[in-house]
Order: sequence, then structure tokens, then C-alpha cells
Amino acid sequence: MAGATDSTNQPVTSIPMGIGQSPFIQDRVIPLFRYLRRNRLLVVGIGALAALILMVSISYMFYSQENLYGEPTGVSEMAKELSAFPEIRPSWNPWGEFPLGTDPQGRDIYAGLMVGAPLTLRVGLIAAAIGVGVGLILAFVAAYAGGWVDSVVRVIVDSLIPIPGLLIVVLVATAVNPGKGISVDQMAFVISVLAWPGPARVIRSQVLVMRERGYVEMARMSGTSPLGIIFKEMMPNLAPYILASFVASVSGAILATVGLEALGLGPADDSTLGRMIYLNIFYGTVLHGLWWWLIAPIAVLVVLFVGLFMISAGLDEVANPRLRRRV
Amino acid sequence: MPWKYISGRLFMFVITIWVASTVVFFLPRISGQNPLEEKIYQEAAEGGFQDPDVAERVRVFEEKYGFDKPLWQQYVKYVTDIVRFDLGRSILRWPKSVNELLAESLIWTVALGFITLILAFIVGSFMGAIMEWKRQNTALLLSMAPFLALSAIPFFIFGIAVQALVFSIDREFPLTRGYQPGVVGWPDWSDIGFLLNVLKHALLPASSVVLVSLGGWAMGMRGMMVTTKGEDYMLQAEAKGLPNSVMFAKYAVRNSLLPHLTGLALSLGLIVSGVLLLEVVFAYPGVGTALLDAVNGNDYPTIQGITFVLAFGTAAATLVIDMIYPLIDPRIRSIGR
Repeated sequence: MAGATDSTNQPVTSIPMGIGQSPFIQDRVIPLFRYLRRNRLLVVGIGALAALILMVSISYMFYSQENLYGEPTGVSEMAKELSAFPEIRPSWNPWGEFPLGTDPQGRDIYAGLMVGAPLTLRVGLIAAAIGVGVGLILAFVAAYAGGWVDSVVRVIVDSLIPIPGLLIVVLVATAVNPGKGISVDQMAFVISVLAWPGPARVIRSQVLVMRERGYVEMARMSGTSPLGIIFKEMMPNLAPYILASFVASVSGAILATVGLEALGLGPADDSTLGRMIYLNIFYGTVLHGLWWWLIAPIAVLVVLFVGLFMISAGLDEVANPRLRRRV
Repeated sequence: MPWKYISGRLFMFVITIWVASTVVFFLPRISGQNPLEEKIYQEAAEGGFQDPDVAERVRVFEEKYGFDKPLWQQYVKYVTDIVRFDLGRSILRWPKSVNELLAESLIWTVALGFITLILAFIVGSFMGAIMEWKRQNTALLLSMAPFLALSAIPFFIFGIAVQALVFSIDREFPLTRGYQPGVVGWPDWSDIGFLLNVLKHALLPASSVVLVSLGGWAMGMRGMMVTTKGEDYMLQAEAKGLPNSVMFAKYAVRNSLLPHLTGLALSLGLIVSGVLLLEVVFAYPGVGTALLDAVNGNDYPTIQGITFVLAFGTAAATLVIDMIYPLIDPRIRSIGR
């Protein structure tokens, strides 16, 4: 349904059969590429994110370092660089010296994006990793222990899901940051507070179904230990579900961080994408005609969100074979 | 059997409300801030003269809010108040109660959320149904693709873009607020001109929500249609030689719509918290803007009240759909859970 181009699928034909002799490539890599050729959604989504990451990396290597606000690896140092300018250059439009123009305080918007995109992605990845990790452990504990443990976990998870996560996160953020900004990583931890019930529920139900399957029964009867069953038999089959809920969690966490930042509750020292959005709302950019400052973070966020959405839809097809045939 | 089901659902509902209210009570208190003191000292400082009784005033207000009591007493009082839907008083806008604040703002959010949600549900479901029914029509599928991509973007991000676009076309069009500036106090709702003005102001936020949520409903409906199309009764309908339109409307859509309704009920609970940020962007006089003010002013009772009411609404919507659904769909009833 998405306008996928075939150019993304070039690797399929370019794998020379000469090196395809090893069983790993024969059994795993080639079927994978063959599958990816049909699952275009997944390919386009991964491609969009890869392009973004590539762009950021190239910018860090070649873009003028002074415009990138400090060392490529340092995060906390950027704040100082942000406020110190060699010359004043407020609100330059994109046709000038700077590729995407500058904001009213003279900061290079392109540099801001290249610094902000990885930070925002980092919040999403950390929060989602914590959320899915905790959810995974809870799901296995609940599904395996059964009985009252399962009931307790289920009641906790079911009671947390209807609570609007963003509001709880707002409460946490106002509680942990009295007046001052919090760091990007603290932000990720704040968001992970409510990132686990969703994955826990999805994975638990999958584990319950999977536990009754023939191959798990078989492994149990042949004396495989419970941990062996979990990691060797179930994990490979759960992988698409775990990945799908991870990608969905990343997207949800990015939404939460951008939302918190739009409310002014985010890190004040780091130029994240959400902070750019916040400043845009705060300064009323729309009314001042500074469209280049507004469009830039929105465009990057759209690429992020749509890319993650496509990946998660693509993974859905991997997980549900019924959808797979319709690609 | 049904009684066990109903009592189980009610139990979950009560637990959810209890968890939400407890979290909401303790979270602000772990920060160790004293919003009352901050507010009063700030006001005293703004006054310009040294008020010798500031500490005394803080003490009086702390007594009024019950902050001087031990934590467990505060908690007991809080829970008994919440059971009676008494959410306390706002700190920022003393002496207004949180209930009054919510009554003013919730109506805007609920109206905006529910109307747009139902509109998006109807149009989106129809889009999804058509998409699956006419799968061979590539042009149709491609025309739907932008909506599917849009559904991945948060409401408020799209809202900002809509603002910028509309502003570049028509500089006079109202971008923010719920009605024209200059209206003092509670507006006069019987005035037609005022109503039109409200609608005009609601147009941008509403269309942002509708355009963004169309894709999700279309995807969901399409999934349901796939399942329905594979059913035996569809084959039988075709064998009977029923016209295509009858098969579409009476057989496929009707059966697909039923499970789809669960999603609608769940969203009715979630949409209110979904549009909060959109309201901030559009400075819409709803709960989102009230929340922003409360956050900026460290107004804990208001933040708590908003969180509690929205959690209550979502949990109640879930409860209602769980109760009603077996009545609508006999297939669920027979399973009996």
C-alpha cells in the first residue's frame, strides 16, 4: 500500500551464489531477503530510520563541529556551547549560510536537529528497553508460576492499562524535577515507569498459548530444563512479538517524551526535538512566520513516527501469518 | 456464571480506581516540595512590601489543605473525599475547587474528543471496509496511503503543522483559543453568533484529530473485513447470488463492525487524554490547557484531580463495554468466559 520502490530490494539479486554455499547463508540469510522483498512495509520503515541515522552520523563527521554545539560525543557540554555565539545571527532563513536557517537566538537549526534526533531516539530506546524488559520478565514469571502470582500480576497490569500514561508521567516529571530541568536519561527512566504493562500483557498471553504447543511439550518430556525451554524453544518464536512490542514502545516513549517536553517538563539543557517543538509553541513561531524553525523538527519527528509505525506494521505481518499472505 | 463475570469486572474497576488515586496521591508527595509555601511566598514577594505574617499565613493555609497532618491521616481523608468525588481545592486559583475547574474545562475536551472520535470512526471504518472490498483497485488503495501514514503521527504535532499551513493561507483565521477574545467569565451560549464562532475555532483542532485518527480505524476495520470475508456465510451469500451491495453492507460490514465497536468504546475513554496536548497547541480552553497551567504553577490538587477524573473515565468506559458487549454479540455470550 505504501509507495515502495524496488531499489530497496537490490541486495536480493546482488547476493552472489558463490558465497551462498555456507549453510547459514543458504538457510537463513537468503530466505530472510526473500521474505523482506515481499514485506515492503518493513523494508521502507527500516530504510527511513536507517537514512535518518546515516544522515546524523554523516553530519557528525563532516558538518562544522562548532555548529554542532560541542564535541560529537558529549551531551552535557552542548548546553554551554548553545548559549555562546561567535556572532549574532538571529532568524536567518534557509536560503542563507545555514542549510535550514537559524532560530531567533541564532542557533543553527540543522545542527539542532542533528543533535536532537539521536537524543530523542535515545530516550525512546532506553524507555522501551526497560519497559519491554520488565514486561518480559513479569510475563514469564506470571505465565510460569501461575496461581496467585499470575492473578496478582494480571490484576496489576490490567489496573494500570486504563490509567492515562501521559498524566502519570507528568506527575512523575513534576515530582522529580522541582523547577530545574532533568537530564535526557532521567527523562527515559521517568517514561519507562508506565511502559511495561502493555508489553507484559501481550507477551504473557503469547507465552500461555505457546506453553501448550506440541514442540514445548516435546521439549519438556525430553527433559529440557524450564530455562532451556524458555530460551531455546519459546524465545525464537516469541521474537516477532517482542520486537513488535519493542518498536511500539519506542514510538510510544518518543510520543511521551515529546509530549512532556511540549508541556515544558523536559530537559532544559539539551536540544532535543521535543524541546524545539516546545520553543516553537512558546515563541508562537507560526504567527512570526518562522516556518523553517517549525517544519524542521516536525519533519524529523514524522520520519521517526512513520518509520517506526511501518516497522511495527511489518513485524505484525511476520507475527501473524494470516496477514502475511496478503502482502 | 454472568454474576461471576460481572463481579470480576467490577472488582477490576475498583482496583483500577484505587491504584490510580493512590499513585496520584503519593507521587507529588515524594518530591518533598511545598507548593503552598512557594505560592504564598511568591505572592508575598510580588506584593512589594515585607509581610511579617507570611509564615503564619502559610501555616493557616496548610491547615486548610490538611498538609499539617501526618501522611496517613491525609491519605484517609483523601480517599474518603475521592469516594464522594470531592477533589479538593486548587492552589493556583484559590478558592476555586478542582471540581469547578474541571467542570469548566472538561466540557470542551469531551465535546471536542467525542465528536471528532465518532466522526473519525464512521468515516474511517467505511474507508477500511471499502479498501478491503475493492482490493484490486490500486488507485483507491494508494489514495488511502497518506491517511495510514498520518495515523502514526501524534495529534499535536499534526496540529502545529495544520496551524502553520492555515496561517500561510489565511492570516485572519483563528488559530488558537476556543472562542473570540474579549468574552469575560462564562460565555452566553444562547447567542448564535457566539456558537458559530466556537465552531470556527474548533474547526482546526477537530480536523486535526479526525484526519490523524482516520487511518487507525481504517486499518482496524480492514483487518476485521479480512476475517469476515473468509467466513462460510460470505461464500453462501455469493452462492445465493446476492447483489454485491447487499453482501457488502448486510453481510460483511455488519459482522465486521461488531468487534470494531469495542475499540470505539475503549477510545472514548482514551481520547480525552489523547487530545490534551493538542489543546495545549491550540490553547483550547479544555483540560489540556488547565493541566498545563497546573503544571506550571505546581498546582498538585488540580493535577491530581485531572489525572483521577481521566483515569476514572477510561476505566468506566472499559467497564461499560465489558458489560454491554456480551449483550450485543451473542458469540461472546456463549463462551461465557
